[in-house]
Amino acid sequence: MLLSAENVSKTFGSLRAVAGADLSIEEGEIIGLIGPNGAGKSTFFNCLAGDTLPTTGRIVFDDIDVTRAPPEAHARLGIGRTFQVPATFEDMTVLDNVMVGAFLRHHHRADARGQAEKVLELAGLADRAHLRARSLGTPGRKRLEIARVLATEPRLMLLDEALAGLTPAELQQAIALVKRIHQTGVTIVIVEHIMEVIMTLAKRVIVFNQGHVIAQGQPVDVVKDEAVIEAYLGRGHRHWRKAGGT
Amino acid sequence: MLLLQVIVGGLLLGAIYALFSSGLTLIWGMMNFINFAHGEFVMLGMYVALLIVVWFGGGPAVFGFAAAFALFLLGVIIYAGLIRHVTRGPMLAQILSTFGLALLLRYTAFWIFSANVVSLPQTSLGGTFNIFGILVPAAQLVAGVTAAVLTIAMHLFLTGTTAGSKLLAVAEDRNAAMLMGIRPDRMQALAWGLAAGGAGIAGALMAISYPWSPSVGETFGLTAFVVVTLGGFGSVPGAMYAGLIIGLIQALSAFYLGPIYKDIVVYALFAALLWFRPQGLLGKA
Amino acid sequence: MKGTIALAVIFILYPFVFSNAFYLDIGVALLLAAISASAWNIVGGYAGQVSVGHSMFFGTGAYLPLLVYHHWQLPPLVGVPIGIAISLVIAVIIGLPTFRLSGHYFSMATIAVAELIRLVVGTIDFLGAAIGLQGPAVGRGWYDLTFRGELPYYFIFLAVLVFLLFITWLLQRSRFGYYLRAIKAGERAARSLGVPVRRTKLYALMLSATFTSVAGSLYSIKTGFIDPESGFGILVSVQMVIIAALGGAGTLYGPLLGAIILIPLQTATNTWFGGGGTGLTYILYGGIIVLIARFEPGGLHELWYRIAPKFRKRANAA
Repeated sequence: MLLSAENVSKTFGSLRAVAGADLSIEEGEIIGLIGPNGAGKSTFFNCLAGDTLPTTGRIVFDDIDVTRAPPEAHARLGIGRTFQVPATFEDMTVLDNVMVGAFLRHHHRADARGQAEKVLELAGLADRAHLRARSLGTPGRKRLEIARVLATEPRLMLLDEALAGLTPAELQQAIALVKRIHQTGVTIVIVEHIMEVIMTLAKRVIVFNQGHVIAQGQPVDVVKDEAVIEAYLGRGHRHWRKAGGT
Repeated sequence: MLLLQVIVGGLLLGAIYALFSSGLTLIWGMMNFINFAHGEFVMLGMYVALLIVVWFGGGPAVFGFAAAFALFLLGVIIYAGLIRHVTRGPMLAQILSTFGLALLLRYTAFWIFSANVVSLPQTSLGGTFNIFGILVPAAQLVAGVTAAVLTIAMHLFLTGTTAGSKLLAVAEDRNAAMLMGIRPDRMQALAWGLAAGGAGIAGALMAISYPWSPSVGETFGLTAFVVVTLGGFGSVPGAMYAGLIIGLIQALSAFYLGPIYKDIVVYALFAALLWFRPQGLLGKA
Repeated sequence: MKGTIALAVIFILYPFVFSNAFYLDIGVALLLAAISASAWNIVGGYAGQVSVGHSMFFGTGAYLPLLVYHHWQLPPLVGVPIGIAISLVIAVIIGLPTFRLSGHYFSMATIAVAELIRLVVGTIDFLGAAIGLQGPAVGRGWYDLTFRGELPYYFIFLAVLVFLLFITWLLQRSRFGYYLRAIKAGERAARSLGVPVRRTKLYALMLSATFTSVAGSLYSIKTGFIDPESGFGILVSVQMVIIAALGGAGTLYGPLLGAIILIPLQTATNTWFGGGGTGLTYILYGGIIVLIARFEPGGLHELWYRIAPKFRKRANAA
């Protein structure tokens, strides 16, 4: 088991964002993390990434307790993440952005550069290597973030809505990229709202609502789960369906 | 007895520190922005007081209000013309903006008023009160008490009125505030006006009992930093208590160690705070 | 590479072309300003940690040489490494607690500690109190570095500047340099990529402190005098910041460019405005800093990069 979260909860003052979430991920999986807005998935995600300190619970990565470990330690152990709002280094070039990631494992400039160029090739950004990050559009930035994290040679990648806001064509390219990355052996957890992404990519889906896991399983099963539908559509959906819907 | 006098004097001055530091911490909490020119706002308030007295005559109420009003306007103008444009930019731009502004204001004051130490002509606030055997100069007492009242008023304004709650809402969660129809830009401009106005009137109050020159802005600015750090990030009540404490510490340091030490002890305290309790009294860890 | 060599040649030839004492003086001042600003640049420009109290390192470096001479008749040079050592201690004292907090704390701390040191030094007789310290009036040998003319100082300062710029160049290309820039560009993202943020900032501050201290030592050795104001005063800090920011904070040659523009300008305004004019110089400085912050935080370097392509387009179109 690569990553396990046991009874993780996070309270902000009087607000309980995450309430006892459990999760276990095997090496090589692609997991989708879905749930309505405010369900606590982003907070949980940040706990996994080391950005937020859980109030209770344990997170174990590769037999190492990382519950209280800072993000830097997570990265070194092999957990990488992207941000919901792309946090690229705007004034640095695309290549330099990725090199920052590459320097984690390759201390010398030449090695880091080589690694960065390989990753740019994989991510389809090689032609824009010397442009400043700020000149890329949002899809480019999201792709750059993914490339940058990939350069750190993670074993587990946490993608936070990395595919949101893309045109259908861009979405297909992005999905293909995630698949390519997965094929190199990286375990992936992806937080997403776009059903197409979840259905095509995720082998297993975990559904969050009100701070805890309400369902998990294969995508086809999860979308039919009563609890899940209720979470998205609300309690009254049964009456609505009886009254005039399908 | 002398010690009690020193303590009272320190607290009264501390009340003035609390007044101008409240504005600084309000902005810090709202915009995550430290105004390096805040001390200069106080200094300008002192000169406005002087100019009003010299040109028009008039008591503390007149020049106090004038200082508050003039600095309020200046605060809003500075926000609209400068601050608004740098908050979304790099940290370097943010810090340089008010740091440069401080230089600009300070040296313009040097140029206009020269480096001479000035004080207000003797006003009707002469004399000394004798309270339970403690001698307190009337000027200091009035200034300190007024400052305390105004600081509390600012706190009440923020927590008790609609406008104040809007300011706090923006400080708490900018996006949520926007969703509620509050315009952060307007609120921030108001906050800058309030902060500058508070500093201005604090300066006017200080001018009643203490002489000054354009260089005081630098010292007041640093004092304000210590007060807001001790009080805690964004906490106006914290600044209130911290202001009093700092005023007290300064007075005691000057009394026991010598006048030059009043600032040395405060800055050393600042360094210690950063090491051991950066969140201050009322800030979150 | 060609540009660098051309620049080096210009600087080497300058004192022979402009051998008049007035111009040589400006040259020496320019080099010293460039050294200080380039040193500040490491932590303020590259890492984006804005110190507005860097005079604390400059002053320390300035006091030690004259101190060891004054009390023990040692050559001032002996004070240089001691100044560096003390500056490093100060850097750690400030950096360690503040680098785990938001950036404002660091900036506030720098200005407060610089003031603290200035005030304290002014009270201690051993350090010369408010009067200050003096260096050797007449040199006992070459090691006292008391030269009659400015020329030897010019070349010593030039050598130090070249060395510092070389170190900065190496840094820029290294893992450490990339990490610095990443911290400036986005701390949270940098952390998520494994950058040890706190440690990196601290090292940058220590490196910056070292060279700033050296600059201070050069200053006091050349001038032969130091006091709390000229060592630890805020205007010392201001000059470093404005020169680096004007030319381009975070770039290799930015601080040098800033010095080339501002030092002659400062000399000119001081001459025009006469005795009471130093105030006007600082009004100008304040205004320049505000303009940089408001319109072009990247300084002239960035401005050039934005404007240059437009000139090329027009040239191509014509």
